[in-house]
Amino acid sequence: MKPAAFEYHSPETAEEATELLADLPDAKLMAGNQSFGIIMSNRLATPDHVIDISDIEGLRYVDVGDDAVEIGAMTRHADVEHSDDLAEVLPLMPEAAQHIAGPAVRNRGTVGGTLGEADPAGNHSCTLLALDAELAVASADGERTIPIDEYFLAYMLTAVEDDELITSVRVSREAFPVERTGMRFTVEKRAAQTWPTLGASAVVRVDDPDADEPVIEDARLSFANAADVPLRTHDAEAEVTGEPLSEGLLESVADTVYDAVEPQDEMHADETYKRELAATFARRSLATAYDRAQGLDE
Amino acid sequence: MSTDTTTDRPTREISVTVNGEEVTAEVEPRLKLSDFLRNYVDLGSVRVGCEHGVCGACTVSVDGDIAKSCLMYAVQLDGKEVTTVEGISEAGSLHPIQEAFHEEHALQCGFCTSGFIMSAREFLAENPDPTRAEIKAALADNICRCTGYQNIFDAVERAADNMEGD
Ligand SMILES: Cc1cc2nc3c(=O)[nH]c(=O)nc-3n(C[C@H](O)[C@H](O)[C@H](O)COP(=O)(O)OP(=O)(O)OC[C@H]3O[C@@H](n4cnc5c(N)ncnc54)[C@H](O)[C@@H]3O)c2cc1C
Ligand code: FES
Ligand code: FES
Repeated sequence: MKPAAFEYHSPETAEEATELLADLPDAKLMAGNQSFGIIMSNRLATPDHVIDISDIEGLRYVDVGDDAVEIGAMTRHADVEHSDDLAEVLPLMPEAAQHIAGPAVRNRGTVGGTLGEADPAGNHSCTLLALDAELAVASADGERTIPIDEYFLAYMLTAVEDDELITSVRVSREAFPVERTGMRFTVEKRAAQTWPTLGASAVVRVDDPDADEPVIEDARLSFANAADVPLRTHDAEAEVTGEPLSEGLLESVADTVYDAVEPQDEMHADETYKRELAATFARRSLATAYDRAQGLDE
Repeated sequence: MSTDTTTDRPTREISVTVNGEEVTAEVEPRLKLSDFLRNYVDLGSVRVGCEHGVCGACTVSVDGDIAKSCLMYAVQLDGKEVTTVEGISEAGSLHPIQEAFHEEHALQCGFCTSGFIMSAREFLAENPDPTRAEIKAALADNICRCTGYQNIFDAVERAADNMEGD
């Protein structure tokens, strides 16, 4: 469990990091090292050069503006978990962050690293997919943005190139007015140290939070570890949109989700179990998000 | 045991404050912080269990935040501060958390203990009056194969009580 030899680089800015990426052959980025370190130890990765970006302070920030929220790639899970600003405007993110492993992992692991790793079970990947985030990436040649629904291509394969660095993620606040939006992250894991068996993000916006039966204007539903990529279920979202949330609607959306997910068998959770879990989580997360949109929960 | 068997590969000089003392060493970039602390600084409290971030036996404090030292490299620590169990109390005396572990029989083989103590120490500094559920969540990164955890949770509760007003 010892990594192969490598040369170590510790750039202080994103620009320096992208220059190193361009200049060095066989170089890999290291963020919190909470996934990469394991792959290195198992010698599934043996890069000649490791570029440590974990201490680039310029990439560690949560910036809540009137129109959008921007989160730097080196923002740690613990920063997200404890951000009062995020708890106010995008509570889904701290709620999901607190379920990532334990505090020591959350002190080091980052938002950018989760996206870079692109494990289908990643908590931030699931939430950012529901929130329709946009990734900002940089290389020595310049910058570009990637909408998150074009980012996850296949199992742990993404639209980011080898010479590119994810610098931040941006979530437009337009679809999520605080006073009539509710959010909920639900997760099942065997133990705190394990990745999710399954996770779900639900976001619900209603027309009038004070109405007896508010109508759902917009709904988002995405899943962690329910397919070979983080999965958003557009059909299920469409099904609950335009109506108040009723028991009948929750039943039928659960059926839709059961069929929409494409989970893999695992030792402790076979495919059918995961489908049932996804259906249950769809029902529960949407119900809680709907309550929260009306200010009812907690 | 500070023999370097890899002299033909590039090394780096690092200077790290370990338990308040400055330590300077030549290390290979791939040297894990856990191995550095055990083999270069002779700190036996840092245990190496899984070496992939799961068991928490290697938990130390880096610049005031706990981290799994098997998922950091010593080169990353240049200019930083590390605290291990050896550094949390005066030699020969016990930290209140260690005392509470003793009183509550919170260890059997003891392999996991330093990791739990480092996690509990950071947690209690931020949450001096925790609930049982909060204690469990705070120790989620640490595995114990002996005790069944209840005595560990009891010990952290007791430590919180004993440390009140500190
Ligand atoms: C015991 C344990 C339990 C865990 N449980 C969970 C869990 O339940 N849910 C969860 O979501 N995660 C979990 N994780 C993983 C954790 O969240 C990691 O922090 C995360 O997956 C990777 O982030 P990192 O910052 O550590 O990145 P690293 O491990 O350093 O990097 C991961 C990959 O992304 C690439 N990369 C990193 N940063 C960038 C960037 N800015 N641009 C481009 N590429 C980049 C790296 O080159 C590497 O290939 C767990 C980890 C451990 C050790
Ligand atoms: S040895 Fe580091 S977590 Fe197990
Ligand atoms: S006391 Fe033996 S592993 Fe915890």
